[in-house]
Amino acid sequence: MNDNDILIRLRHLMKQSSQAKVDWEAVRTDSTIASLGFDSLTILDLVYDIQQEFRVEFEAEKLAGVRTVGDLIAFLKSCMGGAPGEKSAPRC
Amino acid sequence: MKNLRHAAEYAGARFALALCDRTDARRALALAERMADAWFALDFKRRRVAVSNILASGLETKWHRALRLARASYRHMARVIVESLKASTVFADDAVRRSMIETNIHPAAMEALTDPHRGVIVVSGHIGNWEIAARALSFIKPVVGVTRPMNNPLVENLIQQRKPWGRFTLTPKHDANAVRFLETLARGKILALLVDQHAPDMKYMIPFFGRPAATHASAALLHLVCGAPLCFGYCLRAGMMKFRLVALEPIAVKPSGKRKEDVETILRRISAELEKAIRLAPDQYLWAHRRWRQ
Repeated sequence: MNDNDILIRLRHLMKQSSQAKVDWEAVRTDSTIASLGFDSLTILDLVYDIQQEFRVEFEAEKLAGVRTVGDLIAFLKSCMGGAPGEKSAPRC
Repeated sequence: MKNLRHAAEYAGARFALALCDRTDARRALALAERMADAWFALDFKRRRVAVSNILASGLETKWHRALRLARASYRHMARVIVESLKASTVFADDAVRRSMIETNIHPAAMEALTDPHRGVIVVSGHIGNWEIAARALSFIKPVVGVTRPMNNPLVENLIQQRKPWGRFTLTPKHDANAVRFLETLARGKILALLVDQHAPDMKYMIPFFGRPAATHASAALLHLVCGAPLCFGYCLRAGMMKFRLVALEPIAVKPSGKRKEDVETILRRISAELEKAIRLAPDQYLWAHRRWRQ
């Protein structure tokens, strides 16, 4: 899965979780998570959905350094060791 | 008009704080109870909310008995403020602190609390003295309390200056730093949340005394995404500056992929435990909050 594939799926998940009015098609890798309407509470729905959508298990605390969509994509890529759809969820 | 009201409230809060600082605990508590009685007599709107909540809970069925319980609840809230202010000085002495607080912490909860590398989510309601609970837990590991800022910015500043104490700090509920709560847990701290306030998003309607109440999902979601132990606890008053701190076995739920169901499972358990705690001391619960808003 390349960066663009992940970005498209992330846009979809973010659109579902965020209550902010955002032009989701304009979201790029340098968009900050905070600018997309996520704060310390609303991010939790998104994290849950990401863990399920990408079938990855990660310690959410590791997201502590993530500030932008690009950071999030890089983080997810580092987690997705196995191919998407594998039965056992990759863990990082 | 609003600024004038805020200034008057601020002046009142400063006066009450100064009075509290200059008197011993027994006198300060007695004075607080008298002030609570006056507040109860004047605050018609909240008094009505408290009485109707008590009746709705089924804990009292007669109006006059519900009124009596509501007055006791007002007195309790006044005591909470005084006890919390006094705690910052008396807690400095280890022996005094230990004599004030009897603990009953489940071994699995204690194991999580004493692991310095493990973040723990502690949830409670406005039952007993949650400030004392947070301060007591902060002697085991640092506590970050999640708060909603007060409507009056002057009083909020005053509280911010007085409240944070050593290993007990505060963070706003809606922090612009989206990963603040996750960072707190990653650093092995306790993240403390009170989960019995009305949730405006109305996404999760959880039974509370048999009636659906809009409930905040943040503690449940944090547990689901982090796997951090989620403990329900409470701290009831057991006498003059004496408390009983209880922490139950951590709740453990694995994400199933059905977010709503997972969250509801956790929230139902928390709500049930909160109900049990309230039944132990109904006069120590904040009944004046509109919990069952439509």
